[in-house]
Amino acid sequence: MLHRTTTSQKILYYTLLVLLALAILFPIYYMIMISLKLPKDIYRTPSLLPVNTTLKNYLDLFEKRDFFINIRNSLIVAAAATFVSVLFSSMAAYSLVRLRYLYRNWIGRLILFTYLTPSALLFIPLSVIIARLDLSNTLHGLVFIYLTFAAPLSTWLLMGYFKGIPVELEEQARVDGGTRFQAFYRILLPLSAPGMIAVSVFTFTAAWNEFLFALIFITSPKLQTVPVAISYLITGDVFRWGLIMAGAVSSAVPVMILYYLAQRFVVQGLAAGAVKG
Amino acid sequence: MAQPNLTRGPRAARGGWLRLNQRQSEGLFGYILLAPIVVCLATLVVYPFFFAIYISFTNRMIGGQAEYIGLGNYLYLMRQPDFVASVRNTVVLVFFVQLIKLVLGLGIATLLNQPIRFRQFWRGLILLPWAMPAFVAFITWKLLLVPQGGAFNFILIELGLVNTHVEFLSSKALAMPSVITASVWRGFPFWVISFLAAMQTVPKELYEAAVLDGANAWARFRNVTLPSIRHIVLVVILVSTIWTTNSFEAVFLMTGGGPSNATLTFPVLAYYSLQSLQIGEAAAVSVALLPVFAVLALIIAVLLQREN
Repeated sequence: MLHRTTTSQKILYYTLLVLLALAILFPIYYMIMISLKLPKDIYRTPSLLPVNTTLKNYLDLFEKRDFFINIRNSLIVAAAATFVSVLFSSMAAYSLVRLRYLYRNWIGRLILFTYLTPSALLFIPLSVIIARLDLSNTLHGLVFIYLTFAAPLSTWLLMGYFKGIPVELEEQARVDGGTRFQAFYRILLPLSAPGMIAVSVFTFTAAWNEFLFALIFITSPKLQTVPVAISYLITGDVFRWGLIMAGAVSSAVPVMILYYLAQRFVVQGLAAGAVKG
Repeated sequence: MAQPNLTRGPRAARGGWLRLNQRQSEGLFGYILLAPIVVCLATLVVYPFFFAIYISFTNRMIGGQAEYIGLGNYLYLMRQPDFVASVRNTVVLVFFVQLIKLVLGLGIATLLNQPIRFRQFWRGLILLPWAMPAFVAFITWKLLLVPQGGAFNFILIELGLVNTHVEFLSSKALAMPSVITASVWRGFPFWVISFLAAMQTVPKELYEAAVLDGANAWARFRNVTLPSIRHIVLVVILVSTIWTTNSFEAVFLMTGGGPSNATLTFPVLAYYSLQSLQIGEAAAVSVALLPVFAVLALIIAVLLQREN
């Protein structure tokens, strides 16, 4: 590390890195390559390099299978879940970090505990509760369910961010005659913008990718979100890999771009939350 | 820090039931801000949690009436080969996935912590599997492993290593290793990035001192790096073990639990039980998870406390 790296060490490092890159990139490359291949070519002329590259799978997916409807459903659910979750958890995080009252630490711990509650445990009782609330097979039902995993983690991460912002700034604003709400709204929120963005991106991505709850609670094809719609393409007798991979690529690209734009904040946030929580 | 006219002035003293001192008003405001999230989580997590435990002791079916049957569901489950298989498979899957991710995570993070060029680029590259949706990752791995159109069989046959297709997903011996491989591929970046972030906070002086003492690379890793990042390692193991135990997509999308239960795990079995409308049984399947998580959380809590 501090001593000089020898040439043989360098060769070792870069060989390992290249092998690692291959292991990571090959599945992604193959996914994209298959999505650009005609269905008959996938079986008849298997290859590692593109053959007769075509956008037919994508056209079929969006024109014949109305994939836009699934994308719209996913967008609605993910955006609504993000908005509600960030609103609720920023209020809760402010309360838990800045205000003093009875059982504060206890409530904070409970919120963290709800994050650790296994979703495999929750989906069964939730199916009964959601049916009772008349929310089965609705997109807003799904939004509520997504709060179960989004809100606790968001609160936890935002607590980390809020703790990192000096309380003196808000106190100053209040001495100058502002209300507590103004101090929160005008000072704390703008200063924690990176944290809010990270938490929003995290929630949006998690909701966009969520599979199990969407599979259980959405039964009508018109309300299916992207992951469920794609998984239904697998269940047939014939695997339409071209179509499936076109769907996989179309659903992965937007969230991967989003993730890369915000990953710096997300990783920092996780680390901060882990250490401070 | 509440409004001075509420707390001190004579008007506040005559304020009736809303007469709050500074601490009380702060507390009231605090509870109001907490109310939405507490109501949501109480309805959607805490209540279902206890409700799951309750229905696991009943013979409830969807739309039907529930009757208390004591440990009936559990006794029934223990005699089910499906359930026994799912316990074994979940333990095997989680153990190997976590072990491999731990070794890979520490190894790759150490590699990235060396003086290499374009570290940001490599770091971004490693994040790719983690940034992609889990269902996309596992569908892609299924594609890689299928006999017809799959890349691995194509490569093996072209290289002349095998004569016929290898049944990665539908042979009892290979299905579990295949699921483990895919799960590791998707999950390891989180470990690498977390460990790397922790390693970069280790003071350089510690390594300098170790080098002066004649410590070799392994000794430096064992005696300097590892103790310094132990806290993060424990947190990552805890969080990731909970994720992996809960993971539904890998098994459901790649093998559906097959061939003949060889890869059936807890969450997938619970899903199938729910599909067959036996809610009591399904709840018993997932409640059986609870002791596992309780023990896990306890171990980590004790370790973390010893740390402090």
